[in-house]
Amino acid sequence: MSNYLNLSLDEIHSKLVNHEIKPLDLVLEAFDKIEKNKDLNAFITLNKEAAIEEAKKLENVEVDNLLFGIPIAVKDNIITKDLNTTCASFMLENFNPIYDATVIEKIKAHHMIIIGKTNMDEFAMGSTGETSYFGNTLNPWNKTRVPGGSSSGSAVAVSARITPFALGSDTGGSVRQPSSFCGIVGLKPTYGRVSRYGLVAFASSLDQIGPMTRTVYENALLLEAISGKDIKDYTSSDKVVPNYISHLEKDIKSLKIAVPNYYMSDAINVEIREKIKEIISLLEKEGCNIDYIDIDYLEYAIPLYQVIALAEASSNLARYDGIRYGHITDSYTSIEELYKKSRSEGFGEEVKRRIMIGSYVLSGKNANIYYEKALKIRRKMVDSFKKVFETYDLIIGPTNTGVAYPLGIKVDDALKSFYDDLLTIPVNMAGLPALSLPVGFDQEHMPIGMQIIGNYFKEEVIYELASYIEKTLNLDLESGKQC
Amino acid sequence: MLVPTIGIEVHVELKSKGKVFSKAENNFNASTNTNVTVLDLGYPGTLPNLNKEVVNMAIKACLAFNCNITRSMHFDRKNYFYPDLPKGYQITQQKTPIGTDGYVEIDINGEKKRIRLERMHIEEDTCKSIHTEKATLLNFNRAGVPLIEIVSRPDMKSAEEAMKYVEKLRETLLYLGISDVKIEEGSMRCDVNISVAEESSTLLGTKVEIKNIGSISNVGVAINYEIKRQSEILEKGDIIHEETRRFNDKTMSTIAMRSKETGNDYRYFPEPDLPYFHISDEWIKEIEDSMPIMPEVLRSEYESLGLNEKNRNTIIASKAMCEFFEIYKNDMNPIILSNLLTGDIISIMNKNDLDFGDIHLTRENLKSFVNALETGKISSKQGKEILPILINKGGNFEELIKELGCEQISDEASLLEMIKKIISENPDSVEDFKNGKDRAVKYLMGQIMKVSKGQANPVLTGNLLEKELQKL
Repeated sequence: MSNYLNLSLDEIHSKLVNHEIKPLDLVLEAFDKIEKNKDLNAFITLNKEAAIEEAKKLENVEVDNLLFGIPIAVKDNIITKDLNTTCASFMLENFNPIYDATVIEKIKAHHMIIIGKTNMDEFAMGSTGETSYFGNTLNPWNKTRVPGGSSSGSAVAVSARITPFALGSDTGGSVRQPSSFCGIVGLKPTYGRVSRYGLVAFASSLDQIGPMTRTVYENALLLEAISGKDIKDYTSSDKVVPNYISHLEKDIKSLKIAVPNYYMSDAINVEIREKIKEIISLLEKEGCNIDYIDIDYLEYAIPLYQVIALAEASSNLARYDGIRYGHITDSYTSIEELYKKSRSEGFGEEVKRRIMIGSYVLSGKNANIYYEKALKIRRKMVDSFKKVFETYDLIIGPTNTGVAYPLGIKVDDALKSFYDDLLTIPVNMAGLPALSLPVGFDQEHMPIGMQIIGNYFKEEVIYELASYIEKTLNLDLESGKQC
Repeated sequence: MLVPTIGIEVHVELKSKGKVFSKAENNFNASTNTNVTVLDLGYPGTLPNLNKEVVNMAIKACLAFNCNITRSMHFDRKNYFYPDLPKGYQITQQKTPIGTDGYVEIDINGEKKRIRLERMHIEEDTCKSIHTEKATLLNFNRAGVPLIEIVSRPDMKSAEEAMKYVEKLRETLLYLGISDVKIEEGSMRCDVNISVAEESSTLLGTKVEIKNIGSISNVGVAINYEIKRQSEILEKGDIIHEETRRFNDKTMSTIAMRSKETGNDYRYFPEPDLPYFHISDEWIKEIEDSMPIMPEVLRSEYESLGLNEKNRNTIIASKAMCEFFEIYKNDMNPIILSNLLTGDIISIMNKNDLDFGDIHLTRENLKSFVNALETGKISSKQGKEILPILINKGGNFEELIKELGCEQISDEASLLEMIKKIISENPDSVEDFKNGKDRAVKYLMGQIMKVSKGQANPVLTGNLLEKELQKL
């Protein structure tokens, strides 16, 4: 079997330009790798026929950009025309959309080839990949461990070098946490940087689609391809999309960086803390100005998430009633029964639990006690982040409190899995951009991720630092070799 | 004494080109389920987009109803499950209605009464449900059609006031050109809240809501029915329960629909897909400058032009008639024009099933026609003969009256000649006249008309004849 997909993007690109290989070679290789890694269960639906057809079509098209002909995996909560989009739910098991999400239109315009739709936690609700109706995904670094979630399949596809690129979505850490667990680069862009049109909504005020890639350079390229104002998404920004890769080689000496004390507390695995400290001294040596600081309200992130994200989710998931699309129960005698049975059968336990909590916090007087209060604290949290960025260019810390843990241990604890997102949720609450970068391994050779948080629409500054660290560490991040 | 307190919520469908949050056409009359996008179907991943034309229309309504305009507004989700609600929530404005604290004035016994408006907000309509024996069918053409909801304060004290209030809203919205306001077709829907209590009491009685009222006159019928029903209950010493009732236009009565659950739990929260929307001073100014003339302004202008009350009301009640009148009122005698418009013109159009757009009546012809009536060049009887031709076929007025031979003779010399001839031919009648017999004049007039084939100007002829007879 060929192994072009392990090459760097620039190498693949020049081979395509020189006609050494064709897009079809890459596509067939990706499907071979999926077959070989079937046990990982990274994909829900494969796009084999259409991908091959598209690859053949591209043989007669000029190679016009770096992403041309490159295979990409897409999280299964991003709407793809004529390609099932299930959200890993029985509710949408056979849902075949009639339109493309804006990000899909954009990657198609770049002539990228969609290989398939990746496994995930049902409706992006979970941090392990285990709430999927289609079974859990395995971590390629250690198949007894979770890959993280909810963008589990996308992280695994890139980590196992099935595709160099994947799209994920991040509501409370769903791009960054699995990226960290699987040793890849994952970015949650600034809220509004990437159009949400066609992303199946979980929590609309927090959701963002993000690039998941092998390297910082590839991440920057994919972000540039999918960003920009979309008239179909009122919350998308019309800020100009910078040329991100032009920032990668920049000098980092003048950067002022903050490390929140909260991110280096005892709640964080000591090996991870040590690794982050190593990076900090590395950066200090390079001339960065680094301070440990306190950021107010960070400790409220999880309760805020439980109120705001679940309240929005309870409303966003109301449309799945079996009437127009999706699962409909076999027999019913009233409209009430139609709703109750279709939704009870269609949704998994975690989703139902979250809908119930979300409905509860919006219900009657609770709206004041929980929801309104949460919005107020959220605004305070935003303000304290803004204050930090008056002085600092970036905030750094770990992505997670620990590394990937064994499968199954959090399945029965509804609360525990939220705590995986302790360090990632504040970023969504504030709408800031943040990237998870692999910075090393623990003693059991599980990847450790570092989180770099930037100011609004300053993804290029994140990439600047990430690129420097990546180059300096020069880690071997190909997961397949270990197992 | 028991007295009613009445508040009214009115939903008005706006006739914007597109729906309020989707790019689909806003045309409810199109074939079933053709004006539909993935958003209107509540497809996963779709997002709403605010149609500015709808905001423009709502601002117009705010200005016309003297509302404060909310400069920074957002939308909220009203969550409930119903098959006609594709997303499982309705996008509406709970916290920041576009308009607040407005009022309208109605005339009650020659005096103006102010009815205060609590709020006006923008929201989306639901699907239209069609219930058949076997199933409920949904027409998504209506899903996402823009509505404004106008909520009054409980300021009305009688059926008459309520009807005048609704009529005032209807007429104003019609003139704003933002809605068809057809209650019968559902583009305007009224829900009446009514309670009854002792006049001396400072507390209001228990409120009952009446839905499904299909005309303005039925607003009055429903209220009077409900005043009577509630008063009878209270007089018996019984209690009124808070409930929603439905008006039945067959029995002309209200029927209990559902009791009000202890506060519907709609789980409102801010719509995260639509950010805050800012309305600038410039935007409001722009709309202010383009506001059409409002009916109360027209009413006083028409009064000063000398139009009688019936004509004023008839013309203003129909926007099409009013537009027609406005085009020509300065060009010819407005009183004659108003009589023609509300009389012959509209009845000829109705008889032939014509709209103002279909008729062949040109400005020149109408002007000549009105002038001819005014100067007596033609009689009104002749007018009735000519007008249908001008409306249905057109042509040239002057040629037409010649063709029909119905041009009046108003030339004094010719008339005198005729009069003298008739007098000399009828000495008996002259004798009768001298003896004070009135019928002699009528007889002589008849003779003149006969000779002139009806073309003699009757007023002028009468005057000249009288003068000639006096001379004798």
